[in-house]
Amino acid sequence: MLNLFQAEWIKIIGNRWASGFLIWIFPVGAFGFIVIFGLILALSPVARENARGDDTGPDANTLQWTKQALDVWDFPVGVMGRLILLGLTSVVFGGEYQWQTWKNIVPRNKRIPLILTKYCMLALVIVLAFALMSFIMAAGYGLLARIVGVSYGPALKGSVIVDFAGDYIQKALLALVAIIISTAYAALGTMITHSIIGGVLVGMLLTYAEALSALGMAVIAHFLDQPVILNLYRLTPGYNLQNVNEWLSHGQPDSANLFDMLEVSDSLEFSAMALAGWVIGLIALSAYYFHRQDIT
Amino acid sequence: MSETVAIRVESLSKTFGRRKKRRVEAVKRITLEVHTGQVYGFLGPNGAGKTTTIRMLLNLIHPTEGCAYIYGQNVQRNHSVLRRVGAIVEGAAFYNFLSGRRNLEVLARTANNYDPKRITALLEQVGLAGRAEHRVKGYSTGMKQRLGLAAALLSSPDLLILDEPTNGLDPSGMHEIRQFIRELADEHGKTVFLSSHLLSEVEQVCDRVAIINLGEIVREGAVTDLLEGKTQLRVEVSPADKAAQVLQEHWSLSTTMTLPAIPSPPIPSPTTAAVKQPGNSNARWLTVNASHDDAPHIVRHLVNHDIDVFQITSQRQSLEEYFLSVVREETERAAG
Ligand SMILES: Nc1ncnc2c1ncn2[C@@H]1O[C@H](COP(=O)(O)OP(=O)(O)OP(=O)(O)O)[C@@H](O)[C@H]1O
Ligand SMILES: [Mg+2]
Repeated sequence: MLNLFQAEWIKIIGNRWASGFLIWIFPVGAFGFIVIFGLILALSPVARENARGDDTGPDANTLQWTKQALDVWDFPVGVMGRLILLGLTSVVFGGEYQWQTWKNIVPRNKRIPLILTKYCMLALVIVLAFALMSFIMAAGYGLLARIVGVSYGPALKGSVIVDFAGDYIQKALLALVAIIISTAYAALGTMITHSIIGGVLVGMLLTYAEALSALGMAVIAHFLDQPVILNLYRLTPGYNLQNVNEWLSHGQPDSANLFDMLEVSDSLEFSAMALAGWVIGLIALSAYYFHRQDIT
Repeated sequence: MSETVAIRVESLSKTFGRRKKRRVEAVKRITLEVHTGQVYGFLGPNGAGKTTTIRMLLNLIHPTEGCAYIYGQNVQRNHSVLRRVGAIVEGAAFYNFLSGRRNLEVLARTANNYDPKRITALLEQVGLAGRAEHRVKGYSTGMKQRLGLAAALLSSPDLLILDEPTNGLDPSGMHEIRQFIRELADEHGKTVFLSSHLLSEVEQVCDRVAIINLGEIVREGAVTDLLEGKTQLRVEVSPADKAAQVLQEHWSLSTTMTLPAIPSPPIPSPTTAAVKQPGNSNARWLTVNASHDDAPHIVRHLVNHDIDVFQITSQRQSLEEYFLSVVREETERAAG
């Protein structure tokens, strides 16, 4: 099993252009941002003054390493982040079709482990990249705060760290769920189209369709005069990701009144169950599809 | 477990496409058996169904009907038997962004038997040691094909399934690989199942051969048996057109030209159907499907019809000609 993971790792990391531009760009970008900002602040007293000033500068809330570290995880959960992650996941799944390399691999191991390994290693690489970015942002802002000469909290106390660790794990887990759903969309797309770009396009289609499904359902609900149909929207991954994120960040549901037809306000448990269903269902579907597929 | 049979295929069929219009019956109920230690040729024109059959043997595609067994195990139910198989399927394909060595490492790890020393030895064996650390992106077709052979040998398989292994190699490369394949069978006791367009290759390398055309096996047997009694006579005659007409009353003529068994100069080109001889502008070589004993009859017959005979030689039909005649026959039969 370890060998299989290592093989996948070599393929993902060895594809330097793809992994560089589609995933390492996040931590590297964060690093670049900190360096550039640090240089500007260090060299320009005006910039320092502005940053310190109360209306243009960062508010006290921004200058907390806990917030910096946690905010990074919002990115893969949002629609934009999910779309961007389709790039790497499509390369990892679709590359095998496009480069005709499945035929070398499939006789060497069972298909289900091959697919599950891809999910695991993609999740690992992406989570690793965001964890790195999270660390860079938290530490980097501390550096910026020091250059500017403002305080950067909270203090590293036991209770603060325990609280933070709990929040961090929850946020990272939610991001992991979002990453897996994105990966599954791309995987299904590449399996159907046998190409990388196909994975991106189908993945985009599904991500948007999901986001826009509320509108479609509203139209149908309106014409049939059946507002209950809108309840289907409550099952979409996108809605549940946002809802869980809202619960984790603000301790309340992502309440909304959909098109003045339906009040939605779901519990954390409801959304967690829905997401678990999606994760298991999508992985199972893609594994089953691949298992039955002809590699030609 | 019966270890004498390496591959057994039972009325194996594959139909591509669900919609009626686009349905292609790529392989139609083929049955064959490859015994251990054999080098078995799988011969057929483009689109005959060779690669499709090989993909079914490797559990890459699911048969529409029938089963493929390797060492007695149904490959669909018992995928792990493929650990004993090394394969090249339809041209080597690798991760271009990784080096040759890294590619082999990935494949070995995927099969859960990574051994760096074995990889080094194999790279040496296929003549890629010098370029092992270079990215595959820069490899020539022949180099990729060699890397493919190394990949097939990674797990020290008992059975090699090679789909056109010499495709893209230069003549010396082809010769080398053929010798290598023969060695694998003769010295290391491996079983080889080899598909090829290069009929001379099958003739040189294989013990047995199955000829596949339009998805069906049309002939099967030991290479020597298939060619037994398949002799031809080559006559140099003038005028050739009249001679052809006269001979066709009793014998069939072969339209394909091959080198005469005794290379008497000038050698007719194997690619042109007829070569004019200097001096007698009407004289041409004709190839007659007839035995050595027919030679006097043929000469007498020609002379009786006022045709000049310059030379006559007998030769064994090559597998190539045999193959072409079989395929032509079968295609005609299939057409009506
Ligand atoms: N994925 C596919 N979908 C539809 N038809 C296919 C597919 N793969 C192969 N075929 C068809 O099946 C037939 C057999 O193809 P196959 O590749 O097995 O031939 P082959 O003997 O390997 O030919 P070649 O010598 O050119 O490699 C062809 O008519 C081909 O068009
Ligand atoms: Mg082929």
